[in-house]
Amino acid sequence: MSDKINQQNQDLQRLGEDFATKYGFHDPVDYFHKGARGINHEVVEMISRMKNEPRWMADIRHEALDIFLSKPMPDWGSTEILKEIDFDNIYYFMKPIDSQKTSWDDVPEYIKNTFDKLGIPEAEKTFLGGVSAQYESEVVYHSMKEELKKQGIIFLDMDSGLREQPEIMKKYFGSVIPALDNKFAALNTAVWSGGSFIYVPPGIDVKIPLQAYFRINAENMGQFERTLIIADKGARVHYIEGCTAPVYSTDSLHAAVVEVIALEDASIRYTTIQNWSRNIFNLVTKRASAYKNATVEWVDGNLGSRLTMKYPCIQLLGEGARGEILSVAFAGTKQHQDAGAKVIHAAPNTSSRITSKSISKDDGRASYRGLVKVYKNAVNTKTSVECDALLIGEDARSDTYPTMEIDNDEVKIEHEARVSKVAEEQLFYLTSRGLSEDDARLLIVNGFMEPFTKELPLEYAVELNRLIELEMEGSIG
Amino acid sequence: MTTVQKENDAIHTIPDIAPELERGPKWLRNRRYQSRDDFNAMPLPRRGLHFWRYTDPSKYLIDRNAITDTAFDKNRDQIHADLHRQLADGHLSGLVLDLGGREIIIETSESLDKAGVVICRLSEAVETHSELVEKYLYKLVNSATGKFEAMNGALWNDGIFIYVPNGKTIEQPIHLMRESGLANSVQFPRLLTVIGENAEVTLVDEYSGGAPDIDNGVSYGNGAVEIFGLANSRTRYVTVQRHENGMLCYLTHRAQIEAGATMLTIPLAFGSSLSKASYGVTLNGKNSESNMYGLLFGKEHQHFDNHTLHHHAVGETTSNIDFKVVVRDKANSAYTGLIRIDHSAKTCEAYQENRNLLLNRGAKAETIPELEILNEDVRCSHGATVGQIDPEAIFYLKARGIDQSTAVRIIVAGFVASTLDRLPGDLKDRITDYVMQRLEDI
Amino acid sequence: MSKFVKVAKIGDIPEGSMKGFEVGYDRILVCHTAKGWFALTDECSHDSAPISGGELRGQEVVCPRHGARFNIETGEVAAPPAVVGIDPMEIKIENDEVFVKVE
Repeated sequence: MSDKINQQNQDLQRLGEDFATKYGFHDPVDYFHKGARGINHEVVEMISRMKNEPRWMADIRHEALDIFLSKPMPDWGSTEILKEIDFDNIYYFMKPIDSQKTSWDDVPEYIKNTFDKLGIPEAEKTFLGGVSAQYESEVVYHSMKEELKKQGIIFLDMDSGLREQPEIMKKYFGSVIPALDNKFAALNTAVWSGGSFIYVPPGIDVKIPLQAYFRINAENMGQFERTLIIADKGARVHYIEGCTAPVYSTDSLHAAVVEVIALEDASIRYTTIQNWSRNIFNLVTKRASAYKNATVEWVDGNLGSRLTMKYPCIQLLGEGARGEILSVAFAGTKQHQDAGAKVIHAAPNTSSRITSKSISKDDGRASYRGLVKVYKNAVNTKTSVECDALLIGEDARSDTYPTMEIDNDEVKIEHEARVSKVAEEQLFYLTSRGLSEDDARLLIVNGFMEPFTKELPLEYAVELNRLIELEMEGSIG
Repeated sequence: MTTVQKENDAIHTIPDIAPELERGPKWLRNRRYQSRDDFNAMPLPRRGLHFWRYTDPSKYLIDRNAITDTAFDKNRDQIHADLHRQLADGHLSGLVLDLGGREIIIETSESLDKAGVVICRLSEAVETHSELVEKYLYKLVNSATGKFEAMNGALWNDGIFIYVPNGKTIEQPIHLMRESGLANSVQFPRLLTVIGENAEVTLVDEYSGGAPDIDNGVSYGNGAVEIFGLANSRTRYVTVQRHENGMLCYLTHRAQIEAGATMLTIPLAFGSSLSKASYGVTLNGKNSESNMYGLLFGKEHQHFDNHTLHHHAVGETTSNIDFKVVVRDKANSAYTGLIRIDHSAKTCEAYQENRNLLLNRGAKAETIPELEILNEDVRCSHGATVGQIDPEAIFYLKARGIDQSTAVRIIVAGFVASTLDRLPGDLKDRITDYVMQRLEDI
Repeated sequence: MSKFVKVAKIGDIPEGSMKGFEVGYDRILVCHTAKGWFALTDECSHDSAPISGGELRGQEVVCPRHGARFNIETGEVAAPPAVVGIDPMEIKIENDEVFVKVE
């Protein structure tokens, strides 16, 4: 065993060295359009005009901006860190190139290099059905395999979705998350740009995952992608997103809105590996509606960012609907991962399961914030919530804030949470077999994370393990 | 039934001339003025935010028409007569009847007096035990706790002071009866207890009375309890809240225990229309241990909102909470339990469990078991369940010829037993009967 | 035991407006529109907050907190984030007084 660990350790050192080139680099960019800092109705109008949008969307944006300006900042969660956000210092719209490309050869060299380093074109070749690559505010590359197109699957960036599918867009945009929902959803609605639009026709099973990759390159950038996924009756789809950004001394803001709709018998899995650099405020609203016998799964991994506030939600609206949320957070030094999950049972015979795993290391703070709500009509509901927190280091902090609101008696609700440090006995056992304490700790952490990593496509699981190893080494600053 | 548009009629500001503000020596009057100023300066808590997520705080603003000077029927409650007998038979060591702080009647056993235990009115203690009172009063429950704690801090009329000297073990419980007045009355009960080093005592703190229903004017209660368990002391503290249905009651309990001390807290709640209570124990010395076993049983339209807090301020401390909820009819319960372990409190163990039994459709339960853990050297877990009585258990009992309502009673009795078993004998029998009465028409 | 309880005089709630009341254990929203008088439980199904502080837009009430909308005649959800409706209540006008049926 120790040989293997030694090998891993050597790999780790190498990985630590190339992190800066792998994720932390940034490109000197000559932007096609870079607006002014700050947010007002002129900026909103400019974004809408540059995108040549229909007037109804511009109206939605302006109304949402008023909501954003009138809503106070959240007075719960990480209020101190939230105060650091300087809305006047952010660029709300940056268009890197004049138009979206469908071939990597047409993408400017420096952007292509970025995604090359992130391994996107490689992944596209080997195991993805379609790829969308967003750089700052817009999707610069988008492509989907021919055979998927032939099945009638629509996978577009959101701007193209609005142009090409205005009827679907009009029907579903904001239908799950209205602008009034919260301050950051309002901001996104006002200045959204990019994101994915997916529609899977009835009965179609998209056998290989679709992926979007989000990259913030500029300093003080605000990225506001908007994603809408609709799986029609009996359809199935797996969508994966990844995100990274370079390390700057000043902060950027990422405020996405993701609306997911699984119609009768449909099944949607949405996987996120969030590895933003530690100068990004990641304030994301994700919500799904599951209709009769539909299934929605959020697989949500949060490793990066300064502050993440994200609580993927599933509304079980039809009889027999099922929801599952697997949430993992790793909070290293100076990070606060305020992550969680929400499940709303609004129909009979619905079931859900929430599994949360968090690691707080050094002075990192990981919080689980969750809600399970069972309405009066949702009889025969079953739900279980399990939270596991691991603390590494004297200054680490872990919080658990689950809320369960139960309005009828024909339910079975279970919640469990545990907080512990790496057990001395385990460490002792492993070190007595020749492992160094660091190696032993790493082994234990990997075991702790396994329920999450095993849900990921292999390539991502490998990537995630490498990231965790880096975190454990403390080589990411 | 009357239409209520309450906020307009409520008192938002304590006037400068409230007579309670002038009670006590100078230092106390200053604390009262400060509490008044704090209350007046603090905005009404915003509904929906954490502590007030499930209860409308404006309900606890006192109605303009409410009075602090009501008559009481001292013989209203048969229980008091029974307790008298228990005192005479030596099953109690002290009995206190607190009529909304207007009148406080204290009876003690000979053994209690011999041990040097002090039980007296707070207004008396500020004279006779001024050092202790000045040191401890307002230390745990004050304006920093919240707006309504500031309100009590300004307006408490009179309260109870208990002091158990170092090394004394009081075998039989001291029983406090806190009686509320009828419709439109308002009371601010206050209790300060100091348990000396290596001393041992059992306190039963029972709240009753109040307006019979909400249709003809409500009654208000806003209580504060402060308990100090000094080093190696052993305290058992039981509260029984069985107010009438027209009562709106609010209670903040805080205890602090020092090295080697143990604290057993048993909050039991059955009565009132709206009951919000917060129980907190700070573990402030090495090897201290706090155990809390709560039970509430709501019926009809009752609303309960309970909070518990175990705060590990010092390392090598242990806490455990088991809070049980039974609700039927349209009653609802919100339970929020927080375990907080400070950064410097190494090697702590903390456990929490909340089980909710819903007896019918229409009853509601919310449960929020929270953890805030600020260092790695801990063992901590919590669990919560919400559900109905297991239909299989009913089926099993019915198969043995037991009818439905008896089966429900048997199962509920089993559910509450582990909590009630911890009560002193006489009280256990009475509370068990009380629980069963609440199931009679199920 | 349900019965009609007087909550207001019709002059208290001009057409195009609404008002919240508390009667016993019930919170009631009374709406007056061109189509008539309507009553609902004054509690948003999304977050349990009163909706009487919101806005009346035609036959819909908009919750002030997160923008959920409900049809005031049926109580059905007209816009998210609410996902279940709220209970409509019986209302009648007699001698210029507004009565709502409560438990």
